[in-house]
Amino acid sequence: MTDIMHVEGLCIAFGGLKAVDGVSFTAERNKITTVIGPNGAGKTTLFNLISGALKPSGGRVIIKGKDVTGKGPAALQEAGLARSFQITNLFFEMTVRENLRLAAQRLEPVRQALLPLRRHGRAADKVTALIERFGFAEKAHEIVAALSHGEQRRLEIAMCLASEPQVLMLDEPTQGMSHGDTEDTAQLIRSLTDEVTILLIEHDIGLVMSLSDHVVVMHQGRKLAEGIPAEVRADSAVQAAYFGHG
Amino acid sequence: MPDLISYLQFVLAPQMLNGLALGVSVILVALGLTIIFGLLDVINMSHGEFYAVGAFGALALSALGFNYWVLIALVPILMIPIGVLTERFLIRRVYDGGDRHVSTLLLTFGLGMIAEDLLKIVFGPNTHRPENPLPGATEVLGVFIPTYRLFLIAIGAVVIVAVALVVYRTRLGAMVRAAAFDRNMAASLGVRVGWVYSGAFAFGVALAGLAGVLLAPIYSVFPTMGHDFILMAFTVVIVGGMGSIWGVVIAGVLLTQVQAISSLVISPVWADPIVFGVMVLVLMFRPQGIFGRIGHA
Amino acid sequence: MHDRLDISMRANHVFFGILVIVALVFAAFACFSGDVFYLRLATEALILGGLALSIDILLGFTGLLSLGQALYFGIGAYVSALVLREEPSFWLAMGAAGVSVLLAGIAGGLIANRVRGVYFALITFGMAQVVAKVVYNSRELGASDGLIGIPVIEIPLGLITLSADDPLGFFLLTLVIIALLYSMSAYLLGTPFGRIIIALKANEKRVPYLGYSTWAARMAAYVLAAVIAGLAGALYPMLRGFVSPELLFFATSGDALIMVIVGGAGTLAGAIWGAVILTMLKSVIGSWTEHHLIVIGLIFMSAILFMPKGIVGMLKPFVERNLLRNSARQPKPEPERTAL
Repeated sequence: MTDIMHVEGLCIAFGGLKAVDGVSFTAERNKITTVIGPNGAGKTTLFNLISGALKPSGGRVIIKGKDVTGKGPAALQEAGLARSFQITNLFFEMTVRENLRLAAQRLEPVRQALLPLRRHGRAADKVTALIERFGFAEKAHEIVAALSHGEQRRLEIAMCLASEPQVLMLDEPTQGMSHGDTEDTAQLIRSLTDEVTILLIEHDIGLVMSLSDHVVVMHQGRKLAEGIPAEVRADSAVQAAYFGHG
Repeated sequence: MPDLISYLQFVLAPQMLNGLALGVSVILVALGLTIIFGLLDVINMSHGEFYAVGAFGALALSALGFNYWVLIALVPILMIPIGVLTERFLIRRVYDGGDRHVSTLLLTFGLGMIAEDLLKIVFGPNTHRPENPLPGATEVLGVFIPTYRLFLIAIGAVVIVAVALVVYRTRLGAMVRAAAFDRNMAASLGVRVGWVYSGAFAFGVALAGLAGVLLAPIYSVFPTMGHDFILMAFTVVIVGGMGSIWGVVIAGVLLTQVQAISSLVISPVWADPIVFGVMVLVLMFRPQGIFGRIGHA
Repeated sequence: MHDRLDISMRANHVFFGILVIVALVFAAFACFSGDVFYLRLATEALILGGLALSIDILLGFTGLLSLGQALYFGIGAYVSALVLREEPSFWLAMGAAGVSVLLAGIAGGLIANRVRGVYFALITFGMAQVVAKVVYNSRELGASDGLIGIPVIEIPLGLITLSADDPLGFFLLTLVIIALLYSMSAYLLGTPFGRIIIALKANEKRVPYLGYSTWAARMAAYVLAAVIAGLAGALYPMLRGFVSPELLFFATSGDALIMVIVGGAGTLAGAIWGAVILTMLKSVIGSWTEHHLIVIGLIFMSAILFMPKGIVGMLKPFVERNLLRNSARQPKPEPERTAL
């Protein structure tokens, strides 16, 4: 089974507006699947439906063979999903280390919950490893609010990895980043594919082309096209959607 | 059959009308609360004390010789500058802090404490009972109701409709709603947001004061009278939907009728828990109340 | 490796420790001068400190403003009083009170935790007012007079036996109990469970994505706070010999809230300090004038306007800086290197 995540006919409407209308696709194991589309296409709403922030009115989400449709974020975390946010959603008044520790806490067995925090153990080791890997060694004790935007976006990604997910959903991870940071982040994302399957929302076309194994194009809530990056780029319907004429 | 009609005529209807009289006053107080919350996002824990100030103000001014009918207009007008000063110098200071809801709630709670004690100092802790300017009862469709309560219902209804008209039909009202919806946008459109806020707060407390004046002849006047009333007012605001005017009206009538009618059947002591029970149910199944916020209504 | 939250909690311990020392010094003085009144006043301050502590757990750490904690304080007091009238046993009273507020806290939490923020505050306010009214009107519970005639009890503590009548002894016992409640709260807030509670205040929206149910976490915090308030309340009839509905009314919750704000929200120790300061102030002001509400109200408003972090909150950074400096001086253990 190379499928790890399968989305079938997801729908949701707000008032009369169908924000997501029957979207289906498959995210293959250890591959990067990118969702693109003009503004308002429903990409973040789609993410919200998959990650449990919103309840779909129709359709299914299947992760590792289990139907997780409509479940909340905590249950989806359990199912092996982790998600980052387009608008940075960290614990701003806490340190980098404490943010990561909170994210990694799930690795500890529940019976440890009422015992003092362990200095060593799966969660603590995970935090140390993530700090190393994401380059936070110097800033581990800084308050997140004091970090630069690029560093905060990096921390968003690190937080997701802390719980050792199988599927990683990144919502515009390079949003607002400088060119250099964007390059580094792209490399980082590439390097993650050994461990996780990645579902990505991105606006940067260059990034989409170079990173993605599979692209899904959304437009006005529906799936417009999908395929390898080159195919999608050449698709006339996609061009029409982005540039407004056939 | 005749027993039922007598029951309706002599027990139920008067009770419902009495409940309506109370309801109108509760709506006035709750309107003030919901305007202040809907527009300024401030929970005014001292609102009950403004209600009490209105009642005591009426007491004091009538002792000075003012006619009751004049007081109905005079007391609320006098409360406006108090409201403006409170908003400008106290509330605005904590407004932009981290936890606005908590800090304004606490601040107004402190203010309420001070106001209550001031009333005690000035007027003494005892209960006063101003004269009823409209004694006697009137017959309405075969039902006897105290004349004053009838008057209360009438004038309360007029004020409530006036408020709704102002908020929804006038330019002033549009400015208020715009400022409630998006403060910065309204400011950039030329709305004097500062004055709108002070004015709204002052208006809200003036409404509470008016309710105090109106209810003084019926209920007694004493320094802690704000406390019980505020729970009912908050309940109405919550059930109706914070920031919604129609919600307050509907919830106000509904809840006071529930209280009035249930008082017929069970001991009045249990009326409060029942009202509270309604609030809990509403909060549990429809937390936003019956309607939404002023900005979005 | 001392993270910020650890340092913060240790700073709280410093302030609590100072309080304990001050309390012991005071006790020594009182013992020598044969005082009774001030010892009883101080005991009452500590008991109210327990209520304030419960408010701080919710407000300062979970981010929930509960305006009705006096409900659980009162339930604890009434249950304790009812038990003591039948069977003058300290442990039975405490146990019964604990179980009662546990159940009441679960019930109250199920109602209140359906909503957040302002609505939560108002619903907790309403719950307390309504139960207070019911108690006020219940003949079985003594109506407006409350329950009087609570007997003086003997408190068997293994090696020694205290009498509730002994001002010094009961003061020290209360101090120990409050210290235990403080320690338990501080400990729990330092566990993974506690960190999730703190995360709720920091950014509730993110918590589900950490894999936790925010509702469950809030319930746990709420019930914990209810139990602490109830256990503190259970001591009240032992001290005063009576309980009355005033214990449940908003004035009690409001007073405790003022104690937390003046002492410093989010510091645990601040709640107890606030209780001590406020009780002292009330006593002093009360001897000048009847109108202590104005003074307390003014102090409270000044605290919110000019000193929102409270006394302990303001002084904490100095202590934290010292603690940081000390921990930096100690040699750090080599962190274990693990492959990713």
